[in-house]
Amino acid sequence: MSGLAIDMTGISKAFGPVKALVDADLRVARGTIHGLVGQNGAGKSTIIKVLAGILKPDSGRITINGTRVESLTPASVERLGVHFIHQERLLVPTATVAEAVFLNYELRFGPFLRPGAMKRRAEELIRTHFGLELPGDTLVRDLTTAQQKIVQITRALAQEAKVLVLDEPTAALVKREVDSLFAVLRNLRAQGIAVIFISHYMQEIEDLCDEVTVMRNGTDVGVVRPGETSIDEIVSMMIARDVGEMFPRRSHALGAPVLRVEGLSQAGHFRNVSFEVRAGEVLGITGLLGSGVKELVECLFGLEQPDAGSVTIDGEVRRFANPGRAVQGRMALVPEDRRAHGVATDMSVRDNITIASLDRYMTRGFVSRARENEAVDGFIRELSIKTPHRDQLVRNLSGGNQQKVALAKWLSCQSRVYVLDEPTVAVDVGAKVEIYTLLNRLAAEGAAILFLSSDLLEIAGFCDRALVVYRGTLNGEFAGETLDSDLLLAAASGARAQRKEA
Amino acid sequence: MTMALSPSSPESPAGASRGKALAAAAIRLGALATFAAIMAYFALTARGFATPFNIVNVIEQSAILGILAFGMSVVIIGGGSEVQTGGIDLSLAANAGLCAAVFATATNAGLPAPMAIAATLGTGMLVGAVNGFAVVGLGILPLLATLASMNIVAGIELTLTENTVLSTSSPLLSVLSSGRFLGISALAWVLIAASVIVGLVIHRTPVGLRLYAVGGHPEAARAAGLNVGLHVWGTYVFAGLCAGLAAILIVSRLSASTPGTGELLLSILAAALLGTVFSRRFVPTVGGTVLSVIFIGFLANGFQLLHLSSYWVSGVQGALILLVVAVTSYARPQEH
Amino acid sequence: MSLSLSRHLPKDRESFSTLAVLVAFVGLFLVFATQADAFLTLGNLRNVLVNNVVLLAIVALGVTFVVSSGGIDLSVGVSVDMASLVFVSALAAGVAAPLGLAAGLGAALLVGLLNAILIARLKISPFLATLGVLFIGQSVQRLATGGGQPIYLVTKDYAEIFNAISRSSLLGVPTPVWVLILCVLATWLALHRMGFGRQVQAIGARPGVAWYSGIRVPSRLTQVYILAAVLAGITGILLSATVRSYVPMSGNAFLLDAIGATFIGTTISRERRPSILGTLLGVALLAMVKNGLLLIGWNFYWQQVGIGVLVFAVLALSFGLQRRH
Repeated sequence: MSGLAIDMTGISKAFGPVKALVDADLRVARGTIHGLVGQNGAGKSTIIKVLAGILKPDSGRITINGTRVESLTPASVERLGVHFIHQERLLVPTATVAEAVFLNYELRFGPFLRPGAMKRRAEELIRTHFGLELPGDTLVRDLTTAQQKIVQITRALAQEAKVLVLDEPTAALVKREVDSLFAVLRNLRAQGIAVIFISHYMQEIEDLCDEVTVMRNGTDVGVVRPGETSIDEIVSMMIARDVGEMFPRRSHALGAPVLRVEGLSQAGHFRNVSFEVRAGEVLGITGLLGSGVKELVECLFGLEQPDAGSVTIDGEVRRFANPGRAVQGRMALVPEDRRAHGVATDMSVRDNITIASLDRYMTRGFVSRARENEAVDGFIRELSIKTPHRDQLVRNLSGGNQQKVALAKWLSCQSRVYVLDEPTVAVDVGAKVEIYTLLNRLAAEGAAILFLSSDLLEIAGFCDRALVVYRGTLNGEFAGETLDSDLLLAAASGARAQRKEA
Repeated sequence: MTMALSPSSPESPAGASRGKALAAAAIRLGALATFAAIMAYFALTARGFATPFNIVNVIEQSAILGILAFGMSVVIIGGGSEVQTGGIDLSLAANAGLCAAVFATATNAGLPAPMAIAATLGTGMLVGAVNGFAVVGLGILPLLATLASMNIVAGIELTLTENTVLSTSSPLLSVLSSGRFLGISALAWVLIAASVIVGLVIHRTPVGLRLYAVGGHPEAARAAGLNVGLHVWGTYVFAGLCAGLAAILIVSRLSASTPGTGELLLSILAAALLGTVFSRRFVPTVGGTVLSVIFIGFLANGFQLLHLSSYWVSGVQGALILLVVAVTSYARPQEH
Repeated sequence: MSLSLSRHLPKDRESFSTLAVLVAFVGLFLVFATQADAFLTLGNLRNVLVNNVVLLAIVALGVTFVVSSGGIDLSVGVSVDMASLVFVSALAAGVAAPLGLAAGLGAALLVGLLNAILIARLKISPFLATLGVLFIGQSVQRLATGGGQPIYLVTKDYAEIFNAISRSSLLGVPTPVWVLILCVLATWLALHRMGFGRQVQAIGARPGVAWYSGIRVPSRLTQVYILAAVLAGITGILLSATVRSYVPMSGNAFLLDAIGATFIGTTISRERRPSILGTLLGVALLAMVKNGLLLIGWNFYWQQVGIGVLVFAVLALSFGLQRRH
């Protein structure tokens, strides 16, 4: 089969007793866009790491562009024309755009670099492929997430990639950027380049891919053509379960208002924001980047200070000078950047869960190990956190389970108000449902939940009510019939004028 | 369905970063301005400070510290500047002491100059190679690995010299210590030449670019196909080479190897770290290191000429480091 | 964690790596005991304990907190010296001993406070901040002593005070050892049994997570650097009483050993985390080797080489084994 760019056959890989890949196949034809889907833990990232030369397979055969390869290293894979756009933005923060694009393939004159030529060439590539003016001497750390993604792809294009592997490339992009990325990928396909596209967004898979390999439990359970197979079918292949229960329902009655925000303003970010969240309620809130919604959340939790307005919890006016005060005020924040702010990956499950509530486990001024362990074991059971024991480092847990640990930290505080900032990003479908179920239970127990997400389907499907922030002000409240992703999008993008619903 | 609404207006890169870039530029200029102001003060108040003779003299005196600071800078570039886990070579000064002892011993034993030089540089690089192996091959924290090797190297130096001054002389040494070209002494030439060569390699060749990448984000460097371990190992060998080179200068300057070279360590660290404030990326650069080495040199010289107690020198050095760094970290983008 | 030793008995090579220090300690103990007759005598062990272990250990306990918080303190030597300088100067000026003692510890506390302001408030990297303080501290000492002249208090008037601190004993245990025991107990409780220690470790693991969990990071860091300085100050007082003088810059001798002992101690934890037990083990290892090499007849120079090689070997064993799991 000479038309195959990538032919991986019978790949197996075990980590100790855990079989990450069992006789898995992945075949990608030249000039096609090939989707790779599966839940976290299904083996997607393992098979990609094998292809990238990062992991050595225990058995199996790999052929790249018709050449049988025995042992792969990251360097040899790149020489074969296979390039990876990693989910983590693997770029040197102190490098310039031009340096990041040409690292290890520098343009040079004799032994010397040609900084000017690299800058011009990088800018030109970005202009032709993305229609974007990005100065080549900008430092990577000053770029937005989307721009960093663009730099990564440009790097591969600069080296005339034959196979391009993109791992969740759209997770941080806005619609317009996604569209231009897809245009670039289709253009590359027309040039005969094979693209492997990994995404949790099924709509994108359907829109873009010619073929899709579905993985489950470490092996491929089918290769399908999106035109012939529906999204629902693909998803049920992935999870072998009915998808109807993605957003579990709540049936409890709402109680008195717990969190009341009145006239909250912060210069340059948001102004005169008022809303309340009742006991048992899940209030969704969304907005584009720069809309001020992030700053609003930061002000609520004491990370930033508002200029005006008040925050009331259970009838008591609170002003949080720092997160410590917010925690004392029984407010909880599950932050967006889990690794930087949510869980300390080098600490154990137990230490992460109890770090914000140590005074609850004190006996005569000392932390009581016994009480702490008992509580932690309880949370591990209740939240079904998949960990061999409470002393396991959080680093070794999957994304979904790490997020559950981040939530358990606040359960241990017995918080009243839960502010969740993008809690299901980079969490697989199964763990998502578990997190929704857990939030429902918290709500049923009387907690007030403020749910910030940029996934509008999630807001529409999961929340009781939703607010949209547009350019620093509330642009509509949605509930019942009007709680619809299209209406939310219209309000978030300002396409729909201020109009109060419900 | 793709509703990923979150980030960014793509046209903002220059706009958003312009403020930061300006702030960083102001800091860099601020550091330079502080430097210039102190120089100006000395020039106005200290008789003989601004004479060509004195300036050359200071550069000459700075040669040894400069060469060693290059070694340290490169290690920090390749290992990153993380406090506990980043690149550092605590054995550098002790290594220079050992190399000086080797050089003096070899010269006194009648070895021809090229052989003595080879033995000296070889010793330095061997120590560097061992450090590199400990860091890369065994995965020991650089701070710890070089702390241990510092002890070993200092001990070997002491056994070799019995803790005494080893006087020596050779034609090469007299050329180095008193030779002049275009009115500038050989020692100063060595610093100038080393600055140019190291500057070219670090800032004008792929090697330097890759070292910065390896130190700045090892995973990203690995993903770009770079051999991270080899690069890091190379920085320690280079630091060893610098130790050997500095040792030859030490012996030529003093006509002897003396115990106590290890005390240079703190000055080397100060020079390499202070140099980072001259860079918009807040990383060590060759230019920044040269500037701070010369700054430290002029500071001591100015105090001397003003007949101020030398007891003040290290205190003022410390205070200035803190001042410059406090301003820098105030402007530095917040990293977590 | 201090208990990781008992919790994870060696099942595999990785776990064995946590025992490298202990194995080295026991092995070398046996070697010295058989090779040097004087080693296993009560007098020698007591001498090692009082003169080598106590002084270094107290400094290292403070460094353990700093390293736990993700920082480093290059100025502990300055704290030792400042406490010693102020204590001895106060006595020389006729100040009552308890007052002089308090003044000495207060001087160390000020050094810690300076570090704390630089690190916790001005956000200077601990490496640079404490390096700057180290430079300033050296200058201050030179200025205060005319370039580094020691202050001797050898007359009888002071012997009583100094002896009470360094040569007395209670229940047959020398006073300095009691001081160490108290310090160990207090720091062990603080680091491993109190919320304070857990919060400090969280800051060391990930400052952002600590801040988002409601921990007051700046005030915790302030406490950590002050604690480290005061502990070093205690060593400074004990040191002055032992040598009956203030010798400028003598604190620097503790700096690298204390950092070394702390990091050697991290190898007994699978997470490579500093612990009180680990640090003590590191201190004991360094002190024993110095003493043992001396007794088997190595000169000072070779002792230094020997210690370096040994530390290197322990680290290589520990890190090397962990790496190839």
